Amino acid sequence: MQRKRKYEGFPAKITALCLALGLACSVSGCGENYIDRAMDEKSLVIAVEADVDTLHPSDYSTTVESNILEQIYDPLLAVSSDGLGDPEPRIAESYEVSEDGMTYTFHIRHGVLFHDGTPVTAEDVVFSLEMYQESEYQGSQVDGLDYAEATDEYTVVCHMSYPYSPFLTGIGRVHIASKDYWEESPEKFSTDPVGSGPYQYAGRNKGSSITLEAFEDYYRGEAEIQTVEFEVIPDQTTKSIAIQTGEVNFTSIESSSILALKGSDRIDIEEVATSGFTYVCMNLEKEPFTDERVRQAVNYAIDRENLVNVCYDGEAEVNSNICSKSRFGYSDDQKQYDYDPERAEELLAEAGIETPYDLGTMLVAEKYSNIATVVQNDLKEVGLEVDIEVKEFNAYLDDLTQGNYTITALNLTLEGDTQMCSMALTTDYIGTANNARYSDPEIDALFQQAGQTNDTKEREALYNEIFSKVQEEAVYGVICNPYLLYAHNSELSCGEIPFEGFYQIYDFSWEA
Amino acid sequence: MYKYIGKRLLYMVLVLLGVAFLVFTILSFTPGDPGTIILGITASPEDIAALNKEFGYDQPFLIRFFDYIGNIIFHFDLGISYQSRQPVIDDIIARFPNTLLLTVLSMSVSAVVEIFLGVISAVRQYSVLDHFCVITALVFASVPGFWLALMLIMVFSLKLRMLPSFGADDLIHFILPTVTVSAGSAASLLRLTRSAMLETIRQEYIKTAKAKGASEKRIIWKHAMKNAMLPVVTTLGTSFGASLGGAIITETVFAMPGMGLLITTAIRQKDIPVVMGSTLFLAFLFSVIILIVDILYAFIDPRIMAKYKNGGGRRG
Repeated sequence: MQRKRKYEGFPAKITALCLALGLACSVSGCGENYIDRAMDEKSLVIAVEADVDTLHPSDYSTTVESNILEQIYDPLLAVSSDGLGDPEPRIAESYEVSEDGMTYTFHIRHGVLFHDGTPVTAEDVVFSLEMYQESEYQGSQVDGLDYAEATDEYTVVCHMSYPYSPFLTGIGRVHIASKDYWEESPEKFSTDPVGSGPYQYAGRNKGSSITLEAFEDYYRGEAEIQTVEFEVIPDQTTKSIAIQTGEVNFTSIESSSILALKGSDRIDIEEVATSGFTYVCMNLEKEPFTDERVRQAVNYAIDRENLVNVCYDGEAEVNSNICSKSRFGYSDDQKQYDYDPERAEELLAEAGIETPYDLGTMLVAEKYSNIATVVQNDLKEVGLEVDIEVKEFNAYLDDLTQGNYTITALNLTLEGDTQMCSMALTTDYIGTANNARYSDPEIDALFQQAGQTNDTKEREALYNEIFSKVQEEAVYGVICNPYLLYAHNSELSCGEIPFEGFYQIYDFSWEA
Repeated sequence: MYKYIGKRLLYMVLVLLGVAFLVFTILSFTPGDPGTIILGITASPEDIAALNKEFGYDQPFLIRFFDYIGNIIFHFDLGISYQSRQPVIDDIIARFPNTLLLTVLSMSVSAVVEIFLGVISAVRQYSVLDHFCVITALVFASVPGFWLALMLIMVFSLKLRMLPSFGADDLIHFILPTVTVSAGSAASLLRLTRSAMLETIRQEYIKTAKAKGASEKRIIWKHAMKNAMLPVVTTLGTSFGASLGGAIITETVFAMPGMGLLITTAIRQKDIPVVMGSTLFLAFLFSVIILIVDILYAFIDPRIMAKYKNGGGRRG
């Protein structure tokens, strides 16, 4: 009895200890200051899903890197990637294109400063263009450029190897870097970037955050938001909680988080159109997809609305055209495939396909397996049967690019000018992004022509011809263009986030 | 003793070489090359080939492996990351302190709390407290780490707004991750302490101590505890490794820049130098800890010290 009593004190002591700890925590106010910490100041916290590996102006590859570099570096011109609207002047105050499309002349604005205080000159622009030409990462932005020369301190002339109309869109993505800085400290070039954009690099915490500060001598006026912190949060759920607690003010989110956030009146969601498309890809070198009617049947068999609801929580624009609706060159005259299982069955019968027909295996990468499952169901409705085989992403890419598949489903982004769609449709790209392995000399020629024409009307007509033909032949089974989703604090005004989600923090402000 | 340690260090080198070879092989023979992974399928084959060449990825497998090992042995160089083009060692140095802190905190919390509760559970066997401890520990151990982590964030960050939901800026950020990681190893430690203690307090020498009139406290915490601790120390050592593993998932959920996040990202990007460097680093650390645990035995148990002195090793 005696012994027993001695230990009765333990649980009580533990409880007391826990309570004390808990109290200490809440009294010392662990929390509170983490909430809404940025709202009252001129600062902003943005969550990004991965850390940056580099801040090199041209040798970067990820979206996060691009998003951050956009704030640090300014281009010659701001060009919207949907191909619509005129380029806005940035570092270049004006530009001229020669009639034959072989020379572009840029007049550099006077008084534009790099973050280290040195002026931006034609030399820097030439240096930057040359750096892009040599880059394995972003070299395609200056496709068609033969060489650039500085004719005086503030004039740059670009000589083309051949006329290439998407050149200006590419120019809009070229970050102008300082030649002197490169020569002085090449080792710091990719870690301590010096640009001439609205924000300057202020430091980073490897793996966790990057800080930018407004550049006070920015030529368009100092940015309203003074400090921007990019916090790395890889987990979707954590990200969506952090925006709800106010620890984060702005972030991209996945459609799966949308339900949790839409209920909150303190959070606004922005849907941004992109060129990315989710599609069923059929191997045109393999039976039965050599027959255009079978491909059309597949296109009619897919219930796109349903797929968008199931796989994207409704956050995608239904579109069966490889050219997204907000992009230059799109027209409603180009054929759209609507859900019509009867028509699909008719077409299969016309093609001499006896249903049920076994299509074999539908190869798919893990992250697209839900799309494959929905498509599998739709195909079954019209008598086409497939088994799904899931592969690890890199293994899948190998098979996809080498054509070792019959049918698959995936998402692809062909960023930049509409001309980039040639990557999915021309003979040269079989083995890389032309996964249908589609080859038609007529389309090849039309794309080449569109690339070399500077006349907007003429280009539009050429793209119309291309997409009309491609849609008629049902080269791909495009399903939708998923929206890029951004969640932000409702007091934060983000302006209009441009196509592809290339946001500019310069346009953001806190509403009083 | 020194001879024994020397032998163990030699084994350690062999184990590390084995780990290096295995990981390198797996990474090299899984599909995908770094060039394609970095540039994507829309890049031109020439650019991809150029990038791979720059990384030396165009060399045959064995040459790359021996180059890599040679660099480590002769230059103490873990290589350059494919992605960041920065020395791998810099990445490790930047991240490791967070992981170490998280692991040490979690291990200390679970050691202190669970050993304490384990002893009480044993002493008060079948009491309400005993059942409560065992069941709670079991629940925590069965709950998946990422789920527990999310629940903790939802309660303490979203609902109560007491603790931050992500980051690693100061100690406050470590509270929730520590609870998550330590919960995982709690059950095994508690049960182990409990059963070791139960066995010990039934030994004859405890009876002798009691007969001699030693106080309950003294018997439990001094006589019994010291003997019961042997298996517990072993588990602590190995669960240090498990905690490192648990930290990987926890780091991802809490967006804590540690080794876990570094390795998972690197594996996805097929950044071979980073994966190799960090795996070897962790394997090295783990081997050292096991060695330390074995040496600790000698201090806890004089019988083992005697064995070491006779030149015998207990295990390979």
